[in-house]
Amino acid sequence: MIPAVATELTRLAARVPERIWLALIVLVFGLLAAYVVGAINRRLLTRAGVPDVIEGTAFERTAREFDTSTVRILAKLSSYFIVAVTLIVVLTVADVRYLEQFWANLGAFLPRLFVAVLVLIVGVVVGDKTELLVAERLRGVKLPELGVLPPLVKYSVVYVAALIALGQVGVQTLALVVLLAAYAFAVVVFAALATKDLVASAAAGVFLLLRQPYEIGDEVRVAGERGIVQEVDMFVTRIEADGEEHVVPNHSVFRDGIVLIRE
Amino acid sequence: MASLTEYLSDLVADADAVLLFSPTRSMYDRVADGDTEIVVVAPDNDLAAEPFVELPLPFDNVTDRIRFGIEGAMDADLVDEGDEVVCLTNVFGDGSDAVVRVGVDETVHTGIYDLFVNSRAEPSVIRDVFEVAIELGQKGQKGKPVGALFVVGDAGKVMNKSRPLSYNPFEKSHVHVGDPIVNVMLKEFSRLDGAFVISDSGKIVSAYRYLEPGAEGVDIPKGLGARHMSGAAITRDTNATAIVLSESDGLVRAFKSGKLVLEIDPEEY
Repeated sequence: MIPAVATELTRLAARVPERIWLALIVLVFGLLAAYVVGAINRRLLTRAGVPDVIEGTAFERTAREFDTSTVRILAKLSSYFIVAVTLIVVLTVADVRYLEQFWANLGAFLPRLFVAVLVLIVGVVVGDKTELLVAERLRGVKLPELGVLPPLVKYSVVYVAALIALGQVGVQTLALVVLLAAYAFAVVVFAALATKDLVASAAAGVFLLLRQPYEIGDEVRVAGERGIVQEVDMFVTRIEADGEEHVVPNHSVFRDGIVLIRE
Repeated sequence: MASLTEYLSDLVADADAVLLFSPTRSMYDRVADGDTEIVVVAPDNDLAAEPFVELPLPFDNVTDRIRFGIEGAMDADLVDEGDEVVCLTNVFGDGSDAVVRVGVDETVHTGIYDLFVNSRAEPSVIRDVFEVAIELGQKGQKGKPVGALFVVGDAGKVMNKSRPLSYNPFEKSHVHVGDPIVNVMLKEFSRLDGAFVISDSGKIVSAYRYLEPGAEGVDIPKGLGARHMSGAAITRDTNATAIVLSESDGLVRAFKSGKLVLEIDPEEY
């Protein structure tokens, strides 16, 4: 009885083509690899301190609401990617004829989709984080007008991430790139206009700090103000005379020259 | 547990004011329901609380933190001498975990609030100089007690009211107090005679300075030496703060406007 069943099974096994066996082995290995890579990724990200860094970002909070976390999502994503690749390999090895064209296209498309999703997630998280950082930096200044700045920074980062992601999956992004260029140009022009004096002051400040034409305690006349130097830093020079403290920007010190008063 | 709760309610009974150190929103709301005066003491007024005392430094030492809060409240006429104050603060880690009852009297008033808030130099600079002086007082220079004189703030005027005893080792350098390396340097240079001059933002302007203030009208306790006298006198002529480590009794003293405002024993710190 038992030898009969055994021979039946051997014949059945022999009838199954080798390709299928190979495909099954590949499938098992693929699933195993997916699980291992997912676990390792999660450990690596946790070890790298990612959860602490992105703590409090909107994306992380949303992920928490769905009882997961950004790190877990990222780890899962790599697992799914490997599973999908394995499936394609398995189907190819098993030589399933139908829908060949579809699978071939998908095989090429999948890695790009994976990168696109990854870039999008990283972009959103980084955007959230920069928004938090900027908001924290500005918290000391309680002006409602400054409230627009953090979201602006965030959406700029997300916009760039979305552009990269769309580019990855092959959507025409030329118009969006042009928009980005115009936006970046405007930002650069405004920043240059706004910080012109600051940059000039800093450049002059470096010279003043390195060469020290005047020191704390010297009596000088700078930009029409005469007094004793109290402090020289990167951007300004503080000059005090008769209870009045003049804060003179360094670029005007440099432009108008310095008079050192002896006696 | 009942007796413990009773004891705690006795501890906070009849308080004239409650000082909350860096409270959370929920804690503030819970305490603010009562009719005693609530004073929030924190680095930032995030709760938009009124009245509020700003804490310029975190003050790891709880006694100093409480003293600072009480003196700040006294400065704003929120508490008076003779009042009983209950402080809720944290000793370990985050969040309030301690209740302290303090009677406001002369011994609490050490001038620490005035020293940090009303000085010309930045509070963190004053704290850093204090830390150097205290560490120097504890360890001395190679085991031997040393004295030191730091003049902090209003450096321009101080430099004009002093002359160099020798070449200034800090010339053309850009070093600030609080940097660990600089603290070591300051300790090494403490064997030099003369005063250290430190600017409002903490830049070490000079060492080896011989201070030349007018000494009349300086009111400091008898028995203190020339170092204290010149340190006190320079603060009368300028808006600087002098922090002096005594070589003979090892105490750290701070002078402002020619008066002694704070005295600490480094060994107790």
